[in-house]
Amino acid sequence: MDTSTVKIILEIFHYLFFTCSLLAVLSYIILSIISAKETIQYVKKNSFVNYKHILSSPISPSITIIAPAYNESLNVVENVRSLLSNHYPNYNVIIVNDGSSDDSLEKLIEAYDLVHMDYVVDEKIETQPFRKGVFKSNNPAFEKLIVVDKENGGKADALNMGLNISESKYVACIDVDCLLLEDALQKMIKPFLEATDYKVIAAGGVIRIANSCVIKGGKLIEVNLPKNLLVQAQILEYLRAFLLGRMAWSRLNGLLVISGAFGIFDKNIAIEVGGYDTNTVGEDMEIIVRMRRHMEELDKRYKVAYIPDPLCWTEAPDNYKTLISQRNRWTRGTIETLRKHRKIAFNKNYGGFGLISYPYWLIFERLAPIIEVTGLIYFGFLIAFGLVHWEYAILFIAIAYLFSVLFSIVALFSEELTYNQYKKRGAGYKLILLCLIEPLILHPVVLYAAVRGNIDYYFNKKKKWGTMQRKGMNTAETN
Amino acid sequence: MQRHKIVLAEDNSTLSLLLKYRLEKEGFELLIAADGKEAVELVEHHDPDLVLTDIMMPFYSGLEVISHIRNKLKKETPVIIFSSAGQEEMVLKAFSLGASDFMTKPFSPNELVIRVKRLFS
Amino acid sequence: MITYQHLIDSFNKAPFIIQFAFIAVIIMVIAIVSLIISLKVIRSFLKIKDKEILKYKNEYEPLLIEYLYSGNENEELTETQQSIIAKIKEGIKGASRRKSVITILTNLMNEVSGEMSDSIRTLYHETGLIDYAIIRLKSKRWHITSKAIVELRRFKIQETHDLVSEFINHSKVEVRKETQIYLVHLFKFEGLSFLDDLKTPLSEWHQLLLLESLLNLENQQIGNIKPWLNSSNTSVVLFALKLTKIYNQFEMKHELIELRMHPDKEVRRSAIHVLNQLFGYEFEETPKPKNRQLKSEGQIVIV
Repeated sequence: MDTSTVKIILEIFHYLFFTCSLLAVLSYIILSIISAKETIQYVKKNSFVNYKHILSSPISPSITIIAPAYNESLNVVENVRSLLSNHYPNYNVIIVNDGSSDDSLEKLIEAYDLVHMDYVVDEKIETQPFRKGVFKSNNPAFEKLIVVDKENGGKADALNMGLNISESKYVACIDVDCLLLEDALQKMIKPFLEATDYKVIAAGGVIRIANSCVIKGGKLIEVNLPKNLLVQAQILEYLRAFLLGRMAWSRLNGLLVISGAFGIFDKNIAIEVGGYDTNTVGEDMEIIVRMRRHMEELDKRYKVAYIPDPLCWTEAPDNYKTLISQRNRWTRGTIETLRKHRKIAFNKNYGGFGLISYPYWLIFERLAPIIEVTGLIYFGFLIAFGLVHWEYAILFIAIAYLFSVLFSIVALFSEELTYNQYKKRGAGYKLILLCLIEPLILHPVVLYAAVRGNIDYYFNKKKKWGTMQRKGMNTAETN
Repeated sequence: MQRHKIVLAEDNSTLSLLLKYRLEKEGFELLIAADGKEAVELVEHHDPDLVLTDIMMPFYSGLEVISHIRNKLKKETPVIIFSSAGQEEMVLKAFSLGASDFMTKPFSPNELVIRVKRLFS
Repeated sequence: MITYQHLIDSFNKAPFIIQFAFIAVIIMVIAIVSLIISLKVIRSFLKIKDKEILKYKNEYEPLLIEYLYSGNENEELTETQQSIIAKIKEGIKGASRRKSVITILTNLMNEVSGEMSDSIRTLYHETGLIDYAIIRLKSKRWHITSKAIVELRRFKIQETHDLVSEFINHSKVEVRKETQIYLVHLFKFEGLSFLDDLKTPLSEWHQLLLLESLLNLENQQIGNIKPWLNSSNTSVVLFALKLTKIYNQFEMKHELIELRMHPDKEVRRSAIHVLNQLFGYEFEETPKPKNRQLKSEGQIVIV
């Protein structure tokens, strides 16, 4: 290779990175603007709705909360209680005990006066069989509760069991350790019922981080900013993702994922497409992509809705190990889903879904970590050969850093103007400080986990679910 | 004569205050709970003569309050529940759990006083 | 001074891309600093607001309760009541105090009835809160108008009927809907007359809200549902079917049977569903639909 070809290759690299960064920056700016518009609209629209006093009668459509539980014995009784205390007038709760090896079931039977019922399940979706079967309470106060004990089959399989058993029109799939606010179902069902000339197939909620918050008896008493820097950084990350990213995508009707921790589905459509895929670690994203694809192929007008209110609170990983394994799993989930549905990519038959949402996910979620790592390696190579123009390098690093800080601060701004959850004195400074240091704390970890996810996906097929060690809701009380 | 003790469980603080004033004027002693859990705690510690509870409350619902009093504490304390329009089913459940009387919101505080007095007569 | 000059010189000599990046950095730093400052301002503003709300709540709650308990059997206001009204009237000139009073009162309006809710309404009139609501009604911003309509509905203010009715064809759907709910909530079946020539679809959500408004009072007069069952607006037909079912309108049997042939699938389904609910076995004796496909659709509901 002579020097001129090297030079050309270098040039191409330069331009490639430059275009990528420019595209990323541009997309972030556009998303922020759209989300600002949508947020203002949403806030105005809801400023005169009093959710406590509407939909209080049983004529409201029925909803089933499906919560899979696997070895959650520590907190399952408390968590179920929180699920049972929602204010929606017409719902029930199905806890699917997915072959737990602990005493979850015994604890539930004891706490809620459960008795075994004979039940023949209409297997619309194939699942693992019952273990001990179906239980209901003989105490009218817990009439809403159904507990299903089945052989282990993973989260997707457990959710499918719930889909089979539910008799409601809508299902809310949630993680059992999530804390739902009392008006969560009212707010989440609204988009389904408001649609007139299109169909809402699913609605996703915001996930908020419950670490260090005071939770008493299944109720969120006080919102606190956790001391752990890693958790703090995730709070900021979630604010960015939910208040800016998803808000904007919902406006564009381009949401490809609603968080597995809390989402509502039109049950019939979920069953029509065959329920959750048990062969992926990213079943929450996969089912949405499949439902959208289904609707596109039927050529029906549809929407995936999104509710920005802080309705669902959950524990985030508070150590590097768990965080990395969680993100590793998310990465593999994304890769699997995108690969499985690659037919959609750049396919004009799928409209905006194929031309905008999918490519965006492919480039900015799927490929971004790879591009970034390539860039870093390239930069290292330049340093090694003394080819770096430092004034360029420093300026561009400064731009990248400042831009990410700016984006975080915009997200924070949006949070303060809308939900203002972190009200305590001093939290404001901490959050701003966090914006400044977050790119240095969380980003490298997330990047590393994403790369590991890629490696595991391609070279370590046997890799199973990363187990998330739950600290449990109760620990928050003692802190 | 000793004053009758009443536990009032209601998450609307203004209504709580309103009923508290009214019932205190009638010579009752009022203990206020903002949710079902507090109500249960008050019942356990103070052994009231009557419990007034809303059905829809944060955390423990009114139904659970009754269930707790009747099944866990094994007490026959009379319970009057407040329901809203459209909660007929809940009222039936409350009665099957052992509620003594119910009032549908919106209700008149005067009527509540009459019913409370009737329970003690 | 020299270094300063030196910087400008090197900036001017630098390639375009460096100049561009340099400017971008400066712009972003300015943006970040100004956003941080405004964040600080917003936070302290919100904190003050929160404190105010709590303070006013504690201030007005006992006052309002005292007002409610110092009435007498006669319709007229007692002296204590008059002095409390004067006090509140003065206080609510400030917007946040006004909000606070309204919040306390609405919280009560939802829960109490009879003489007490009448008494709250009198207060609403006497303190001039109603006038503030009417001013907001005329606001150019649609969500302010909506809020005012909601408030008037919550306090069951019938006098503003004509003023509010004007919004029934408002360009913003939220305003139209709140107007409809106001009318139904206060005037029941009479308020439903907007259905007669409604062109836009009624969402499921909105139908539920209308039904809840209808259902919250006993002993009501039920108007004529028939024209709505024959409406050309499918969503109106669906809504009328719900009314037929809830109010047990047995005399609509003929219309219901007709609706089994309606072009819309959802209407056919609900019509059969209502027929079954109201007439039970009786319906099975009526002639089967001519269309086979129709029959199978109907059976899903029957089963």
